[in-house]
Amino acid sequence: MNAWKGTILRIDLANGVIRKEALNMKDAQDYVGARGLASKYLADEVDPLVDPLSPDNKLIMMTGPLTGTAAASGGRYEVVAKAPLTGTIGAANSGGYFGPELKYAGYDGILFENASPKPVYLYINDETVELRDASTLWGKTVFETTDALNEICGESFKIACIGPTAENGCLFAGVMNDKHRAAGRGGMGAVMASKNLKAVAVRGTGGVSVARPKGFMDAITNARAMLKAHPVGGSGLPALGTQVLVNIINESGALPTRNFRDGAYFDEADATGGESLAEKYLVKNKGCFGCSICCGRVTRVPDGPFKSSGEGPEYEAGWSYGADCGVSDLAAICKANFLCNEYGMDPITLGATIACAMELAEMGAIPKEDIGYELRFGDANAIVDLTEKTGKNEGFGKILKLGSYRLAELYGHPELSMSVKKQEMPAYDGRALQGMGLEYATSNRGGCHVRGYLTSPEVLGVPIKVDPFETEGKPALLKLFQDLTALIDSLGVCLFTTFGLGLPELAAQYREAVGSDESDEEILKKGERVWNLEKRFNIAAGVEKDSLPPRLLNEKLPGGAAAGRVSLLNEMLGEYYLLRGWDEDGVPTGEKIAELGI
Amino acid sequence: MGQRPIRNEYEIFLMKIKFFATYRDLTGRRELDIPAPSTAIALLEELAVRYGPAMRKKLFTEDGEISDDAILLINGRNIAHLDGGNTPLKEADIVSLFPMVAGG
Repeated sequence: MNAWKGTILRIDLANGVIRKEALNMKDAQDYVGARGLASKYLADEVDPLVDPLSPDNKLIMMTGPLTGTAAASGGRYEVVAKAPLTGTIGAANSGGYFGPELKYAGYDGILFENASPKPVYLYINDETVELRDASTLWGKTVFETTDALNEICGESFKIACIGPTAENGCLFAGVMNDKHRAAGRGGMGAVMASKNLKAVAVRGTGGVSVARPKGFMDAITNARAMLKAHPVGGSGLPALGTQVLVNIINESGALPTRNFRDGAYFDEADATGGESLAEKYLVKNKGCFGCSICCGRVTRVPDGPFKSSGEGPEYEAGWSYGADCGVSDLAAICKANFLCNEYGMDPITLGATIACAMELAEMGAIPKEDIGYELRFGDANAIVDLTEKTGKNEGFGKILKLGSYRLAELYGHPELSMSVKKQEMPAYDGRALQGMGLEYATSNRGGCHVRGYLTSPEVLGVPIKVDPFETEGKPALLKLFQDLTALIDSLGVCLFTTFGLGLPELAAQYREAVGSDESDEEILKKGERVWNLEKRFNIAAGVEKDSLPPRLLNEKLPGGAAAGRVSLLNEMLGEYYLLRGWDEDGVPTGEKIAELGI
Repeated sequence: MGQRPIRNEYEIFLMKIKFFATYRDLTGRRELDIPAPSTAIALLEELAVRYGPAMRKKLFTEDGEISDDAILLINGRNIAHLDGGNTPLKEADIVSLFPMVAGG
């Protein structure tokens, strides 16, 4: 077996039965691995109408064929389940070292079924696989759980776990690995908690072989050289991390401010950007497995009311707690982000949910007594306080843990949730970047920036420069980006490689690793297959149609470079469906499904 | 955005250039106020002269074209979507200069 290990673990948590079964190689070839392959297992085995937090949902952790190899930034794995936040197929990707370790233990993935009657964790030490009691770990934070398991199992074990918010039904609780890396979005941690599964501890001493070692070495040497030579992968991201985006998105008039209410230019953005983070709080860079970019930030706020230390914030979290909440205190933003990692929550959704609460409170829709104080945009203390309350499931945190859609609906204004399919949009305004608006609306997991990142061509000019205000050509470009992204997530490599690599370089690594002679186009087609599979699951699950919050469609941006603009989604959506081979309601046609062999 | 043009001691209106990321390291400053050159490429040339070879290497290719590693926004619009290097400049313009950065 090359690149794939050929074995998955199937864990029946209700009965404590552990089975090692052969990987379905036809599916592996068709859906590649990680996101695609796990989604195929889920679509085959789970009723799309299942309650996401019921035992009938399944939780799948899956690596890709390039995970754990010497491929550029090949350290990723995917967590897949029906998502409680959105009701869509949920697929959350993470880096760190957990994914490669799982392969070194001999497994492509783990499929968890049913629910355990008591808290357990899964222990994997090469061939030894056991369900162990986790009663003493239940309720512990991500950091405490990780430390405890490293104490029990050994320092060399890699840990993926949930924090207490997942156990308390937070709908955007993530699965955290290596303490600070997150399969963050959509509530995969809540699904894990519903199964009484606290953690997976894995140690592997094997390796991953590839089909054509000489060709593979040539392909990865070329890819790594291209990444190093590129201004983004070679110097930009290593120097300033992802937070460097704050200023360029802001200067482009595309940084959503105060729950998207005050447009997309934040006067105090510079104080929250990557330059300020490097100047004030950066301790050192950190990289995931096999990565030469090292965009991770180890940071420390040395003193003051928000004294704290940890990793991050990444750009999206820095925005959600920063511009979106109207907060310019970088120390408070750092601390709120650290708390999200500690308690195991998605900081994009929580920051955006607090921003939504701020708007509702300012307009008088949330009574002061519900929160405990007057909540206003710009309140640095509040972002930390409300994050802590959500983490501990106390007070107003018991409502915030449900996300902005359910919050806004509860207080009579669902239209003020800046979400798509109930998941919060991240840090780019679809009125200023028309392609990103289309991307949010059509994302298979709700509001999300990593389902076809058109910010790259629209703002950064990578790989081509396209005008952010134009709609022409965006549907075709988005389709390409979505399919390519689905492929990359399925390979097990980091999306950031696309700042230096294109389809030819990625496809070459795949071909040499698995021993395929498929063309670049045939390999890209696998990404399209994944996208259509996800879409079909969502339609069967009854997920709402593709759209955007009315604010983006009707309220003109008040200032900045894109002043006066709204999202022209409806100009693009029909063409997008046509290019996808879907009908006018966005449903994949029988011809398309047959063509893709789904 | 939003800043009003300022004037120097000779009552000449000055253009504000905002530097970000590695351009802050190259210039040692966050902002610079100078009389507006006529075009975007003239501005980049002036910056190359003012800050030396390292800056020139960042702004221009060996062929003298504007480098992909110089993202120049005029009032928030990338000059690639205006008139490129020939984009005219006015005193009231706000100019922002970035290297090729990314994130997400």
